[in-house]
Formats: sequence, C-alpha cells, structure tokens
Amino acid sequence: MTTPKINFKGMRDWTIDNFFGSKLGILLTVFSTIVITYFIVSMVSFLSSAEWEVVNTNRRLLLLGRLPEEDTWRAWPILWLFCSIFCSSIGAWGNPKKRELLLLLLAFLMPTAIFFSSTYIVHILATILIGSVAYISSKIIRRTSYIEILKKALISLWILIIPLSFAILIVGDGPQSNLWGGFLLNILLASVAVVAGFPLGILMAVGRATKLPVIKTVCTVYIETVRGAPLVGWLLLAWFVLPKFLPDLFGLNDLSVVIRAMIVLSFFASAYIAEVIRGGLQSISKGQLEAADALNLGYIDRMRIIVLPQAIRVVIPAIVSQFIGLFKDTSLVFILALTDLLQVGRIIPEQDPKFFGKQLEALLVVASLFWVVSVVLSNLSSKIEKNLGIGTR
Amino acid sequence: MKSFVDSVVQWSRFQRNRNIVIQAVFLFFVTLLGVYFFVRASGLELSLSHFSSRAGFGLSHTFLVDYTSNDSRWVAYFTGVVNTIRVCLVAIFLTTLLGTVMGVARLSKNFLTSKIAWTYVEVLRNTPLLIQIIFWQIVFLQLPQISEAITFGDTTAISNRGILLPWISDNGNAQIWFIFLGIVAAGSLYLSYFLNKREDVSGKSFSIFGNRLNGNLVGISLFVIVTIVTYFAFGRPVSMDIPEIAQNNKGTWMQSGGFDLSPEFAAILFALVIYTGTFITEIVRGSIQSLSKGQTEAAQAIGLSKYQAMTLVILPQALRSIIPPLTNQFLNLTKNSSLAVVIAYPDLFMVSRTIMNNSGHALPVFFLILLTYLFLSLCISLVMNLINRRVTRIGA
Repeated sequence: MTTPKINFKGMRDWTIDNFFGSKLGILLTVFSTIVITYFIVSMVSFLSSAEWEVVNTNRRLLLLGRLPEEDTWRAWPILWLFCSIFCSSIGAWGNPKKRELLLLLLAFLMPTAIFFSSTYIVHILATILIGSVAYISSKIIRRTSYIEILKKALISLWILIIPLSFAILIVGDGPQSNLWGGFLLNILLASVAVVAGFPLGILMAVGRATKLPVIKTVCTVYIETVRGAPLVGWLLLAWFVLPKFLPDLFGLNDLSVVIRAMIVLSFFASAYIAEVIRGGLQSISKGQLEAADALNLGYIDRMRIIVLPQAIRVVIPAIVSQFIGLFKDTSLVFILALTDLLQVGRIIPEQDPKFFGKQLEALLVVASLFWVVSVVLSNLSSKIEKNLGIGTR
Repeated sequence: MKSFVDSVVQWSRFQRNRNIVIQAVFLFFVTLLGVYFFVRASGLELSLSHFSSRAGFGLSHTFLVDYTSNDSRWVAYFTGVVNTIRVCLVAIFLTTLLGTVMGVARLSKNFLTSKIAWTYVEVLRNTPLLIQIIFWQIVFLQLPQISEAITFGDTTAISNRGILLPWISDNGNAQIWFIFLGIVAAGSLYLSYFLNKREDVSGKSFSIFGNRLNGNLVGISLFVIVTIVTYFAFGRPVSMDIPEIAQNNKGTWMQSGGFDLSPEFAAILFALVIYTGTFITEIVRGSIQSLSKGQTEAAQAIGLSKYQAMTLVILPQALRSIIPPLTNQFLNLTKNSSLAVVIAYPDLFMVSRTIMNNSGHALPVFFLILLTYLFLSLCISLVMNLINRRVTRIGA
C-alpha cells in the first residue's frame, strides 16, 4: 500500500476552503467575524476604561488574605519549595519542548507581573533561580544512574510538601489558621483535600470492587451519599454540625473553620477519587488477575503489587482533573466566611469609596489566577496522559 | 480427637468462612462508628417538627407556589424546591443546545468557527462557576436603570431590574387547555411514530388525495390544526401579555406584565448554561471524533448534504456515547445550582440555609437537603436511562 500524496494547498486555496468553501461556510465566516469583533470591541472598551488601582492596593490581601504583615515571609519558602520540586519533577520525568517551557514561564510570570513590586524583586528572582537550578540539576542527574533515587525522593517530597508547608506556616509562633486566606488558602485547601482524600479514596474504590457484600454496600453508600449532595451543603455541615460530632479530646471539637473545611473537603474529594480509581480498577485486564493467581498471591498482595500500581498509573490524568475541579470548588468556602481569593476579590471594591464599581476589574484578576493554575494543570494532565501512552495502546 | 483449635484452623481454611469473619469485623467497626454518631446526635433535635411553624421570611422569587412569610416552613421549602427545578430544567435544555452547537462548531472546517468554540471551552471551563455567577450578576446589575430601559418596540424591555419578555396570560381556562394540548401532543407523537414504523415495516405510507405524507408531517399538522381549532373552541384561553414600563403618579417607575427574567435568575441561568456547556461541548466533540471517518465518507457517498450527514448519520450514532457522560453533567448542573445562594436566588439550598439559621436545628435540615438532591438526581438518572435505552437499541 502506498500512502496517497498529500496535495499541498497554497495560502489562497486554504483561505477559500476554510472561509468561503460553501454557502454554509460563508455564513459561518460572517457570523464568526461578527461574534469575534463584538468580543474584541467590548474587551477593548472595557480594558481602556478599567482602572487597576483596586487590585494594586490590595495585592497582599488577594494572595495571602488577612495573614499579618510580619508573617508574609512565610509564603516565600513555601513557593520556593513548591517551585523546586515542580521544576525538578519536570526535569526528571518530563520531556518538555522549548515552547512548553516558555508557556510555563509565562504562566508563572503572569500572576507575578500582576503582583510585582520592587520590595520583592529579590524574592522573585530567587524563585526563578531556584526553579531553573532545580530543573537543570535534575536534567543532569537524569543522565546518571542516580535518577531512580531522585524520582523516589521527589515522590515522597510531593507527599511531604503539605506537612512541610503547614510547618512553615506554623513554626515559631505563626499566625492562627483562621487568618490564612487569599490564593494561599485556595491552594492549601485543594492540595490537602486531594492528598488526604487519596488514601481513603483508594480504600473506598477497592472496597466497592470487592465481592464481599457488606463491605461493598457500605463503600457504595458512602460514595454515593457524598456525591449526592452539593459541596456547599457539606461545607455547611462543617460549619454547624461537625464540632458536635468530634470527640472532646485534644480540643478537637474546637477546631478552626479552616481545618474543618479541610476535613470536609478531604472526605468530599475521597468519594470522587474513589470513583476515578474504580474506573482504573475496571481497566485492568483479566489476564493480570489470573497472573497474580498463578503466582499464588493473596488478595492484599495482589492488590498491592499487581492491580493498584497499574490502576493508579492509568488514572493519574483523571486525578489531576479532579484536583482542578476541587481547586475551582475551593472558592465555595465563602459559605464558611473564609476569605479565600474570590471572597477577597468581592470584598475589596466595597472597602474604599474610591473603588466603588470596580468589581469587574477585581473579578477579572481573580478569574485569571484561577484560570492560569487550571490551564497549566490540565495541560500537564494531557502531557502525562501522552507520556503514559494511555489510549494509544 | 480434634481439639477446638484444630477445628477452628480447619474452618478458617475456607475462603468463604474467612470472608464471613472479615465482614463481621468490618461491620463491627462500622456499627461502632454509627453508634458513636448516634450517641452524639441524640443530644440534638432530630425531628422536622419545627417545619410546620411560621417561616417568617420573604422570598424574592415565587413560582407556582403562592408563598408569603406567614406560611409554614414547609411551604417556603417547597418554593425553594420549585425554584431549583425551574432553573435546572431551563438550564439543562439550554446547555444541551449550546453544548451540541459548540461541539459541532469545534469540529467545523471553518477556522474561525472552530477557534471560537475552542476559546469558549478553554477560557470558561477553567474558571470557577462561582466567579461566572458573580460576573453575570454584575453584568445584569450594570444594565441601564429602568427609566432608561432598552426596549425593542413593545416586546422586550431590558433594565437592571430584569429582562421583561412577552409572555402569555391566562384568560380563564388556560390550564385545561394546556393539559388537553399535552394529551394531543402525546397522541400526535404516537401517531407519527406509528406511521413511520408502518412505513419502515410494510412500505405502506399514509396518503391523502394520492399525496404520500411522511409520518412526522402528519403528526405535526395534526397537532397544529387541533391547537388552532381548540384555541377558538375554548374561547381564546390565552392572550399575549406585553411588558409595560410606566411611571405611576408618584413618579416611581413600575414594570408590569410579560415574563420577568430577574437579574438573579438570569445570572444563575446564564452561568450554569455557559459553564456546563463547555463540558458538554467536549463530550459532543469526543463522541463525534470517536466515530470512524468512514461514517462521514459513507454519508457523503450516498449524496447526503453536510447538514443531513450530521443530523441523520453522525449525531444519532454519537448519541450513544454522549448520553452517559451527559447524564453526569446534568447531575453536576443540578448540584451546582445550589451556588445560587451567593446571589440570593432563593433556591432549595438558600431557603434551607435560612431555615437552618432561624431554627438552629442543622442536622435534620441537612438530611432533608441531601434527600432532595438525591431525589432530583434520581429523577434525572431515570429519564436519561430511558433515553439511553432508546438510543442504544440497535435498529431503532
């Protein structure tokens, strides 16, 4: 078989084919042009009249919420830690093209540009330096045989990053947890929820996939109940009821609202992660189970060694999507009167008479921050999907 | 002689027996947890008896239910449920439409059209729904004041108090007429289905005066004719309700008549439709792309136009893989409608929260919320499963 010759079309042919190929094509072109023009005109007219002073004055509030001035330094080590792990992970696993690296840098620079100020120029330069050093050094290690150790270390660091961030926030007379806020709070809530919900999610998924009727029923009821009610409902439960259900030990029934929100979000995330992992479990071919039987592995060993590693590997992209969803949903903590990014964005135009009517500007900055994180992560997820070769096998 | 230990060891060799032990232990711990929660909850008020007392708060949107603040909490609650169902039904209808159009546009050969759909998905899917709701609320509140309302003749009036659309008003026996029309619609649907089926099976087609008629045409014309005839037979049950804006004698602007699309309802509706639409776009695109290219080529080969190929060949097949994830999105939409609380649209969740705050008994109200959402989800799943069964039936 010979492949047919590709008939290369010139610019003129391409234009005609795309825009004026048929009656429908012409109609679509005209309609699309009107839509695009409308959007560009309204964007330009908005941007030309927009005043960004409201964002400029409240930058720290947007990023860190009501975190006291003297504790602002705590945000930087967390950023550096995250940046170094993230960049060396890209170096260790990824095979980024130049274009993608550039996009990543742009995605990082956009929020930095919004929040740039001369006081922090050293910190920002340090962040970029740390990121590039981490990336390059793990690239170099990748050529040696130490890469496996590095990979293992990175995986454990990814899990440790949450407790480490907590430690940085708390160590040495840190601010109270109900003062955490802004973008930091959104990121913390989503990360804690996914990391803490993950083990429970695995247990629930495995429980739902067993043949034992009692365990299966309990797990199914748990998953479906949690998925049945909206997240705001569960958060409201954290507000009203959760303290009454926690034991009186260690001041557990006196937890701050942030911690309560984290607990509820973790349980909420676990149900959704369980469903994702269940999909992964179902994708394991029967031959794998038979192979495990042939090796005379018990149930636990079979799950631990054969099934789960494969199932989790398949669902990593889906879990990243879950993280994105959860990250967007962390804006719902407004119902607990927490000052997360969106809540700060809603409050600041009302704080000062000179900012009245500037809600759209604040909202746009808030939206773009959420958007950047989500887009970077979803690109990452599709990249992982390609690297794992899911769907191409 | 076998000792007791030996017999236990013997007994435990069977997987079946071991499973019983594992489940018994598991059940023991679950029960322990349940008992713990029960003991904790026993100190709380668990009945819904306070729901029969006076609600005492007003709701800005009442639909079908005539609610006043003197009614009981149950009435308030059902007003909320009706409001939720109302926004969800309209949103589900519109978002399916938007998602399908955008999904097809995403695959369009026209560069501009597909880029519009791409931008729509990439920008709006990755922004939290809450931000979009607040955005639309701000947009609707920034519309001109009612004294400078934008009007299109006498039909529509747009101001920051809402969008007034022409609607129909009841002249007496409209309800009976609508019920009657519903029955007629079902009858015509069945008739057209029956005629099409008969034509498929036996080749006999329905004809009047020697003109062969398609089953769909017969059904539609029957419905239209009966509607027109009964409209006069029932003594003109409905008439057009034109929105009106006028100043009263004190100089305040009043709006009356027409269908009032309030800013809150419009904001939550727009946000839900546009946000969920992005996911449906991706579902539709994925399903169409998963069909083999041969289907499109085959449709071309038998001379179908692009529109015909899409509606007769591609979409019916794509529907099979569209419906299950679509159901999921509808369920998400229903649950997401609870975010209406942020712009004070009195849906089920907001009303329940108000009751929670007023009564102080959070737990039973929460279970009521949970059960209501589960019930709504169940209804949607049921309908979608019926549709799914219909479209996956081979040769249907």
